Amino acid sequence: MALAEVEHLTFTYPDAERPALSDVSLSLEPGEIVAVLGPSGSGKSTLLRALAGLVPHFHGGRFEGRVVVAGMDTRRFRPADLAGAVAMLFQDPENQVVFGHVANEVAFGLENVGTPPDQIWPRVHAALAEVGAARLAERRTETLSAGELQRICLAAVLALEPQLLILDEPTSQLDPEGAVEILDVACELGATVLVSEQRPALPLERCSRVLFVDEGRITLDATRDEALARLPQQYLPREPNALGDVPGPGETLCRLEDVTFAYDSRPVLEGRSLTLERGEIVALTGPNGVGKTTLAKVAAGLLEPESGRVEREGRCCYLSQDPGRYLVKERVEDEAALAVGGDLDRARRALAELGLAGLEHRHPRDLSSGERERLALASVLVADPDVLILDEPTRGVDPPRKAELAARLRRDASRRATLVVTHDLLFAGDVADRVVPLTARERALA
Amino acid sequence: MSPVPAAALLAALAAVALITDRAWVVAAIATGLLLLCLRAPRGRRRLYLFGTLGSALSVFLLSPLVSHVGTHVIWDGPKIPVIGYLDVTSEEIAAAGIQALRLAAVGLAFAAYALLLDLDRLLQAAGFARRSVLAAGLATRLVPTLERDAAGFMEALQGRGVEVAGARGRARLLSPLVAGSLERALNLAEAMEARGFGRVGRTRAPSAPWTRLDRLALAAAVLLVLGAIWL
Repeated sequence: MALAEVEHLTFTYPDAERPALSDVSLSLEPGEIVAVLGPSGSGKSTLLRALAGLVPHFHGGRFEGRVVVAGMDTRRFRPADLAGAVAMLFQDPENQVVFGHVANEVAFGLENVGTPPDQIWPRVHAALAEVGAARLAERRTETLSAGELQRICLAAVLALEPQLLILDEPTSQLDPEGAVEILDVACELGATVLVSEQRPALPLERCSRVLFVDEGRITLDATRDEALARLPQQYLPREPNALGDVPGPGETLCRLEDVTFAYDSRPVLEGRSLTLERGEIVALTGPNGVGKTTLAKVAAGLLEPESGRVEREGRCCYLSQDPGRYLVKERVEDEAALAVGGDLDRARRALAELGLAGLEHRHPRDLSSGERERLALASVLVADPDVLILDEPTRGVDPPRKAELAARLRRDASRRATLVVTHDLLFAGDVADRVVPLTARERALA
Repeated sequence: MSPVPAAALLAALAAVALITDRAWVVAAIATGLLLLCLRAPRGRRRLYLFGTLGSALSVFLLSPLVSHVGTHVIWDGPKIPVIGYLDVTSEEIAAAGIQALRLAAVGLAFAAYALLLDLDRLLQAAGFARRSVLAAGLATRLVPTLERDAAGFMEALQGRGVEVAGARGRARLLSPLVAGSLERALNLAEAMEARGFGRVGRTRAPSAPWTRLDRLALAAAVLLVLGAIWL
């Protein structure tokens, strides 16, 4: 008997012109591992929310068809009633943490679903151990890195021991090793797992079935092997490209020598050096918490090192890894024009280059998450800087958009020095001339 | 110490600071609470201490100028429309001093509550009005979140070469900060509902039993308030 059934589901968000999902039908069997792939804005997250009952209960809108999960029809049962049978991990861990302490955060769902009190703490500690976060049990949530927080959020859903585990881009904040660990833990749970990812290789290695969603419809529902033959090329697993020829010595635009930096006396960078030359693209990789973002911010002049020397030539622009930071103005074009003293013509050209033409007068908060990513990028690229520093520019970006971004950066590479901080090794291989791996052990030596 | 007696003790200290007329008592409470707050991490305590001590200093500096109490004039200032003469008397300075100390003591008690107490366990201890206490806990956590968001907006602007300087520059971040908070609140509400919040039949994780120190702290809190009223 199927664990979940979706029958002819069509759903339109309030005030939306067209449906986010159109006539979607599928059935999920117990124990299946299903990869949900597709472009940004295709309806993947909406489908996952429908299975958790959040669509339509939380979002409103027009709902046609039927979704039944673990014998509960989501039109009659609220998401809170489904909790326990269904558990969902959302994209952004910052937006799902309720409590100030890790153990309490993991216990929250167990308390809500009425777990016997004597079972709560043992299940909390077991779930934390499962995701490799037992040592974090007594930490305050606000002191955790994004990667650590994502593990805590996963522990919180695993503790519920759900029949259907829904993961909406669960590894977007994690380094490759962390992402593999998280997905392995989720897939070994024995539950039906539905995982949406923008790094498709990870779920494709583990899944038994693939759903490809495009423009609100399931355009492919196949076994893994069939899917590997039918998926668009950009979604297929591959090895990272070999690095291109390193360009000849160019003008040095940014030089960091023997830089050290600490947050509240906790050392993050110790004796680190880096040189960026015009014409080259450098990828900075390494595990979560090793100091990649800190090094990028020091290079951009946003952080002053405690010791060491930083030299920069020309204009430097830094793209934060959170596109939600590029929502200061009331209109998209004004936001993009901030970096060029309000020059709207330049802003509109930059927006058009990133496929945002026609959205110039919209409020930035009305944009979809994919459009926000592109607005953030346009807001930085518009300045045509000599030194461009991009911090995780592919987080939540679908494979075709990543390919476009790589091509754009390569096209303009000769005009500037570019530093890309990324966990995405495929993207690093596609875009970079040189990869600088930063690891904890080599922190002082690299 | 468990959070309930600790919160009761902080509330009692704030109440004593408001009730008593003895300046040295208020000063001792404010100093003790300041030392307590200094145990919090530097990054977290900065906003609370700056806000509390800045407000107290403002009260001390401005209050003598706008009040008209006492006969021992120290400074004879000009006449300002609406406010009147800007005289400063020794009585006004003494009154301003104790008001500033009171404000500092109450503010520091709240800062110690927000910075040092385990608010989650305080919430767990609430046997009633759980939703209200949860809302209060989330509101307290909003302060560091807003601080982080403000720093993020500033960084994103500076990363584009846009200078954010002065009160006017920072004021234009207010609207995106509020909008961001509302968006985060919606996302959080969705995540809470998905985790069963609001479902009938919830249970509570067992908490550690109170120690002797906890019982002593609660008794001290009661005695402090009674003593302040009696004396």
